[in-house]
Formats: sequence, structure tokens, C-alpha cells
Amino acid sequence: MAASFLKSFFQKRFDAWLKRRVPSSFHHTLSRRNIFIMPTKFGFAYLLFVFLLFLLATNYQNNIIMLMSYLLASLFISIMIHSFYNFSGLGFKSTATHSGFAEQAISIPISIITDKPCFDLTLSFVKTPQYKVSLEHCSQGDTKVILPYVSKERGVITTGRVKISSEYSFGLFISWAVLDFSHQLTIYPHPKKINENQYRLTGQENQNSCATSYESHTPGLDDFSELKDYVLGESKSRTAWKQFARGQGRYTKHYQNQQSTLNWLKLSDMPSVNIETQLSFLCYLVLEYCRGELQFGLDLTSKESGVEISPDQKIEPDLGFVHQKNCLTALATYSKQTKS
Amino acid sequence: MMSKASHQAEPFNLPINNAWLLWCCQLLNVACLTAELSSWMLAILALCFCWQALLLSKKMRVIQLFKVQKKSVKGNVFTVPPLVLIVFAISGCIAIALTAKHLGVLISMVHLLTFAYVLKTFEIKTRKDFYQHTLLGLFLLASALIFEQALSFSLLILLLLALNLTLIHKLFAKKTSLTNAGKTVVLLLLQSSLLAITLFLVFPRLSPFWQVPMAKSAKTGLSDNVSPGDIANLALSSELAFRVSFDEGVIPAYSTLYWRAMTLENYDGRKWTRSNNKIAQQHKNIDKKDFTPYTSGAALSYQVIAQPSFQPWLFSLPVATTTAKNIILKDDYTIQSSSIVNQLKYYQVQSYLDTPLALSLTQQSKHRNLAIKKGSNPKLEDLALTLKGMYSNPMALSQAVLTSFREQNYYYTLQPPALNNNSLDEFYFETRAGFCVHYASSFTYLMRAAGIPARIVTGYLGGEYNDASNEGNREQGGHLSIYQYDAHAWSEIWVEGIGWYRVDPTAAVDPERVNSGWSTALLEQQSSLNNNLLSLYHFKQLAWLNAIRLKLDAIDYQWTRWVLGYSAKQQYDLLRYWFGQQVPWKTAAIIAIALIIAMVVITLFYRVNSNYKKQGKITPAQACYNKCLLLLKKKGLNKKPHQTPLQFCVIVQDNFPAISSDFEEITKTFELLQYKQCNEQERHTLMGVFVKKTSNFIHALKAESTIIQPKQ
Repeated sequence: MAASFLKSFFQKRFDAWLKRRVPSSFHHTLSRRNIFIMPTKFGFAYLLFVFLLFLLATNYQNNIIMLMSYLLASLFISIMIHSFYNFSGLGFKSTATHSGFAEQAISIPISIITDKPCFDLTLSFVKTPQYKVSLEHCSQGDTKVILPYVSKERGVITTGRVKISSEYSFGLFISWAVLDFSHQLTIYPHPKKINENQYRLTGQENQNSCATSYESHTPGLDDFSELKDYVLGESKSRTAWKQFARGQGRYTKHYQNQQSTLNWLKLSDMPSVNIETQLSFLCYLVLEYCRGELQFGLDLTSKESGVEISPDQKIEPDLGFVHQKNCLTALATYSKQTKS
Repeated sequence: MMSKASHQAEPFNLPINNAWLLWCCQLLNVACLTAELSSWMLAILALCFCWQALLLSKKMRVIQLFKVQKKSVKGNVFTVPPLVLIVFAISGCIAIALTAKHLGVLISMVHLLTFAYVLKTFEIKTRKDFYQHTLLGLFLLASALIFEQALSFSLLILLLLALNLTLIHKLFAKKTSLTNAGKTVVLLLLQSSLLAITLFLVFPRLSPFWQVPMAKSAKTGLSDNVSPGDIANLALSSELAFRVSFDEGVIPAYSTLYWRAMTLENYDGRKWTRSNNKIAQQHKNIDKKDFTPYTSGAALSYQVIAQPSFQPWLFSLPVATTTAKNIILKDDYTIQSSSIVNQLKYYQVQSYLDTPLALSLTQQSKHRNLAIKKGSNPKLEDLALTLKGMYSNPMALSQAVLTSFREQNYYYTLQPPALNNNSLDEFYFETRAGFCVHYASSFTYLMRAAGIPARIVTGYLGGEYNDASNEGNREQGGHLSIYQYDAHAWSEIWVEGIGWYRVDPTAAVDPERVNSGWSTALLEQQSSLNNNLLSLYHFKQLAWLNAIRLKLDAIDYQWTRWVLGYSAKQQYDLLRYWFGQQVPWKTAAIIAIALIIAMVVITLFYRVNSNYKKQGKITPAQACYNKCLLLLKKKGLNKKPHQTPLQFCVIVQDNFPAISSDFEEITKTFELLQYKQCNEQERHTLMGVFVKKTSNFIHALKAESTIIQPKQ
């Protein structure tokens, strides 16, 4: 109890000190200020070995073995400086905001800028040391490294510091730096598959046609509305091949959902008591709808709580990438206070 | 370029070329110890190496095959089943244990270490195993130094140390070529050498913490019994016996350099043996230094460095005194080490060459030195009696015998005809060909038979003078190297009023041997007996080769004297000489200062190196442009790092309208040179234009008088 208290106390003090010493920035250059260097286990074993040699030399009164032990001891110090200079002078750059799903690796690019070749770099987040990226060799110029980050929970999180370490030259020393790029990640809920018959979608009551039962939708079943001129980048599946074959030009078929069945994805419709699971289902649906290019709205107000509808929690029906992103962000940031 | 996996989680897998490097490195490490390992162990090790080589070549083939099929290789295919290894290891250990008694503790330990080292290679599965293996290898190298410390061998070990370190280094710099990795290691070793040497010089020397098993080895050099023909065998060896340097630098004449090792007083009709074994032991029990020789006249002071002979004899000129510990002065005027000489032995001796040896002789001693086995050599006994009748003076008598050696047809040879039952009669009257012991023993026998106390002394004669280490500095003098082929036996007769008087019958037979060393004929004989291409004879035939040999010998001598012989006493003297009264904190301060200096030097090295590299990256165009910038800075316009050349150009235009168009052109050309992709020809012409423009601009700018005041 006391030990853990002490530990957390020192951890806090250390973090505060680290914050002062290595403040957050998008760009870091390794130098005296932010490099830590310590002998590794092998380093300590090596020192023990050198001491053993010294004993051997003293017992045999053998000057050459003595000289060898002194040489190896001095080498230890040279290697320390060598390791340090392999590491110092490296520049690291990374942009701050990224997004991705929970329980999936989110790729965070970090570029390494160096004017000398350097060796054996390992990068990882301090919070998730199990996901590492190792570089055997980093040549002059820019090198881009994709560092994965995996979060179990949704929400807007800061990833914390990135630990960059190197055991270069002989493995006797580990030099490391913990850099804060103030990475901020928006973690969407983990999409969980839900079958269509497991839930019912309800329309918005204020709308004209309310509570229409939802029928299984596929794009093909929707009503065809019009042909429009082809715009570069539109899906091939939507091309009006008939017209194209006749030589009338390239058009795209545009469909429209039944105006009456405006789809609202509602938190309260999700079949679970666990809010996180509900959000996961919603996330899956948002992705599915977007893939199907269906118009939908997102409603995260829960009936029971009766909390006033805030614009954040209700997104008007729309289409497109930005809409998807907004919806996902809403899911990610759906605050836990609302739940309670 | 990138591998997305961690070190620890992944099973340790050396790239194939590094695995071969490991194999070679290992082979060389073990090769350093081959002289110490017994042949059965060498056979086992050779088997292991072949096995490893087979596994590696198999792996190489499979990797190539997989490369074609684009599959990844599983590492564990190439390991040896653990059961086989265990059985192998246990049987090896049993074999070592069985032979331990015969081999001695130290050699058994070396066997075990080497065996473990080679077997460990089969078991390198993790990074930790690799580290253990490497440290074991380094320890192996260090233990090889227990047995041999010559300069060349030490350098070889240093080289192998660098190779071992390169192997570790390659683990962290896989893409680096072997030569580059080696360069890095050598550089690091050089950087470390400053501190290492300081530590060597000033770090306190400690006395051994505990008793360690010493190397047991075959005895070399002179043995304590001698029969005719023995020393002739020793004469075939050109191994070093000991080296001497005289303090005043004045080396006595070659013919006086009789290095006495022991006296042989007992003769059993076949061989001469030491008489005073028992007495010596009694001496030990009472007091080591009970015998103090009487000395008079001028002393000759010299230092001897004796090679390990695994025997107690030490070498000196008569009459020797020494204050060195662990040295016994004996009543036959020889000196002996109190323990067996199994390491280099350094000792300082003062010799009084003019002092007589034992003016009085005890009855017991006289009796011993007159004893002959009556009837073993009847003809010699008869001759002795005849001579005794002719000469009353012992000196005249011995002179007569020497004259007979000189004038009759005696022959000095390394290959004397075999004597029947070591009969001295046969030698003296029939074969008349022999090496020093033949002459010395028949002479001594004759003397004893004639009633003159006589004994045989063995030791070394002469030595090779080498001043290659300090040319042009004659006073300092060089040193004498005495080799095994300088081994010699001569006689001493005791004469009333003179004491033990040295008579060397060899001088009568082969004066050259005594006055300047081996004659060419003898050398030729030695060479043909040796079948050795690098024999002394061949060396002496080629002057330049001999000069090199002497130079190497001189270097090795300096190494032996100053590095191998750097002892606590010498350290004390040196530190006193440099820093006055020696106080412990001074040593600590020196080490601390050396540490700081070493670290500063290395840090500076990297700083300068990285700056140099940065400068090296500047293109010629950049350098030209920088010149303009420097001048503009003097005029008060400073280009900030975030400004592009074009942005800066606008600022210049605002401030110096007169030369603005020039600078605009310069800027544009500069950008073209820096960023445009063009061929050599184009670049060259552009560069020419650029240089011209910049020089014009600089002239114009210098003429400009306005200086822009920086805005506050």
C-alpha cells in the first residue's frame, strides 16, 4: 500500500519533472536535454567481466591481462559517448491529430530527420510498449516511420510520450528519449456487427412520416431518381452503362431513398444494456450506411435520461465523408457523464 | 530497411554472414590456446567446428532455396538436438576430469573453458546467449595471455579482441560492411587507449588476492645433471633463455661472460650431478641468506630478465650478490630462485668480477671435488699420474692438458660419435670429437685424478649483443640476449691462494666459440640438424634479415622490460619522479583528470566530426551564396532561417534598390543550381555564371556605403 503510494508519488514527480525538461512539441531534436543513457544488463555483465579480468591479472601478476582489463574498462566509457552521439542530433517530427477505431492499430507517422546515418532505433509509445517499430539503419535525410497505437477505449485521448531508444554500438548502453508530440487521437468505438433483424430503426417523430418500419435496404432496391453527368471519381457501379453503350455519354444513376423513411440511427434502438456495446453497434451501422451511400441521421439522446438535446448529440441526416466523420466523432466523444 | 518486430520477442537469428564471422572468430580465439590444449581436446574441437560449418552451409543453401521460392526461413531447423549436445558435453567433461590430475588445474580449467565456449555456439538461441558466448570468448583470449606474453602474441590478441568486438558491433549495424564496422571498433579502441594507459601507469598494483594454479610446463634449459652430449641437444634450440642489460652500459668482453647457473660436483662415471641438494634444503630450513659471499673490487651492476624455465636456476656472473627477495645465494657462488621460475623473472645483480671464489675449502668439499670412480677410466687416471709427476703446479698441469687439446687433433662438433658407456677414455684417446661437456668432463676427471679439486659448471657463455633499440646512443648500451644454444659447460679447479679458477677446455679446442660465439661451421651444422628454415645460420647469411631480427629482438626486449616488467616498485618510482611524494589522493586525482580528459577528447572528436560532415555537405553554390549573405549581414541585413532566398531577395530590394537587380539574378540562379534537375554540363555553365555574378555583386555591395540599422 505504502509502496504503491510512494511509487505513484515518485512517478508523478518524475512526470512533472519530465514535462518541464522535455516539453511537448511537434518537433524534437535529441540533445543533452532529453537523452537518457544507462547501461543495459549486458553492460553490467560486461563490467563484472572486466572486474573478473582485473582479478585474474592481479592474481597472476600479469601486466598484459591487466592492460586488457583497463582497455575494456575505458572502452566502456568510449562506447557510452559513442552511443550518445549516435543518438543525439536526431530530429523527430510528427503531426498531432489522428483518428481510428478502438482495438485496431492506428498508424501514426513520425519522420526522423538526420544529417548522419544512425543505427538501431526502436520506437514505441510509453503506454503500449508491446507495439514497437525497429529500424536497423536510418540513412541521412528524412525517414518516415509508421508507429501503431492501439487503444482499448473510445474517446479523445492523448497517446502520451513516444519512447525512442537505441542500444547501438555494442548493446552495453541503452540510450532513450521520451518525447511528447502531443498526439491527440479520436478513437471511435470498435465496430460490432449487428444483424438487421436485431433492431428496429425509427424515424424522427417530428418528421412527417414517422415510425415507418424499416425494410431491408440495398442500394438496388431504392427508387431510381435521375441520371446526372458523370463526375470523376464516382463509383463504377453507378455508371449508367446502358446509356454509355448507346453512346449517349457517361452518366451516373442517382437513387433516392424513400423520402418518407428517413433513417435515424438511434442509441436507444440498440439492443444492449451496455452503452459501449450500443455505441459499437451504432458505429458498425454508421460505417455500413456510409458504404451503402445511404442518407442517415444520428441521434444519441437517450430517452430515459431526458437530457436536453444538444446539437452535438444529434446529427441531421446527411451523406458523405464529412458526415461519416462527424458521426463517428460524436460516437467517440459521447460522454460518459450522459450515461450516468 | 525496416523490420517491425522487437529484439526480445523474436528468436535470435544471426544473419548468415555474421554467423560465418562468428565461426571464424571462434576458430581464431581457440587457435590462440592450441599450444595449451591436449591433442584429444583439439580433435573434439575440430569436430565441433566441422559440425558447425556443416550446419551453416546447410543453412546457407536453404536460405538461397527459400529466396527463390520467396518463403521465410524458420530458424530452428538448424539446431542440434539437445540430447545429443548434453551427451556430448557430459562425455567431454568426464574426459577433462579424468585427465585433470595429469594436466594440472590450470590447464584443465582452460580445457573446460574452451570446450564450453565451443559448445555454447550450438546453443545461441537468444540475444543473451550471444552475449554470454562473446564474453566467454574474450575470457578465452585473456587466459591465453597467461601462457604467453610476447609482444607479437599480445598484438595478435589485441587484433582478435577487436574482431570479437566487431562481431558484437555488427549485431547493431547489420548493414555496415565488415571493414567499416572494424574501423569503428578500432577507432573506439584508440579513443579508449589514453585512459587505459593512464590506468595502467597509475592505478595501484595489488598483490595477488589468493593463490592461483600456475602453469605447469615442461622444464626447459639446463637440467641438474649432465652427461656428455646433453648440451649439444640444447644447442639446437634458438629459444631465448634470458636477457641482461648492464646499468653502466659497459659490457664486459665476450670471453668473460660466463653465466653460471649451477655447479656439478658429483660424478658417478656416467653423468655429473649436483651435490648440494640436501645441503640446500638444510639451508632453507635455517635461513635463506646464511651465505654471504666475500666481495672486493669494483661491482658490475646489471638487470636480468629470465624467461620461464620451470626450474629454479638463475644466471649470474661470479661473484654475484643481490638484494632481491626470493633469491637464494648459494655457497658455490650461484644464485637460485626460491620457487620455480614459471613466469618472467626480473632481478638486479651486482657482480664483483675480480673477487676470488672461496679462498678456503672445507675438508668435506675438498673430498667431494676430488672423488673419482677409480678404474672407470684407467687410461685417463694413468695420464693424470704422469702429468702429476711432470708438473707440481696445478696451473701448469691444467695448462698442459689444454695444450694437448689445442695441439692434438681434437674436434669441436655438435654431432660427436656415440661413446660406449659414456667412457671418457674413449673420447680422450680415440674419438677426439665432442661438444663442451666432453671436454669439460674429461678435463675435470683428469684434474681430480691428478689430485686437484675440480668441478663442472654449467650455464651460458656469451650472448648476443643488441643495440638496435638505441642507435647512436652508445653509452646507454643495448642488451645481451642469451639463447639456449649459448648453453655451455666448463670446469673450475681449486688452487690454493686463487680459489676456484675457471678453466674452459673448449677455449683450447675452438677459441672462436669462447671469444665471439658460434663459428660458421657450427652454425651450419646446427642448421642442418634443425631442418629449420628460419635458423640462425640463415639469418646470419643475410645481413638485412639479421638486422630485422635484431630490431625485433630489441623491440621485444623493451616490451619485456618496460611493459611486462612494470611492477609496483617501478610504478612507485615513476609516480615519485613525476609527482613527488606519493599520496593516495594524487593517484585518484590523476585517474579522475585522465577520465575527464579522455571524455572531453572523445566528445570533441564527435563534435568536430559532425561539424566537418555538415560542412562537407555544403554545395559550392551554397558557399558562394553564403559569402553574399555574410556581407549583407555586415551591412545590417540578416537572412533569417525561415526566409526563403526569394523572400530575402525582396527585402534586399527594399533596402538596396541600386543593386537589387543583381541580387535578384543571383537568387534565381542560386535556386536553379540548388533545386533544378540538370546534367553536369548545364550545371557547370550555370555555376560559372553564378560565380561571376556573385563576385560582381560583392564588389558592388562593398561600394555601397549605407548600413541598415536593425529595427528595435
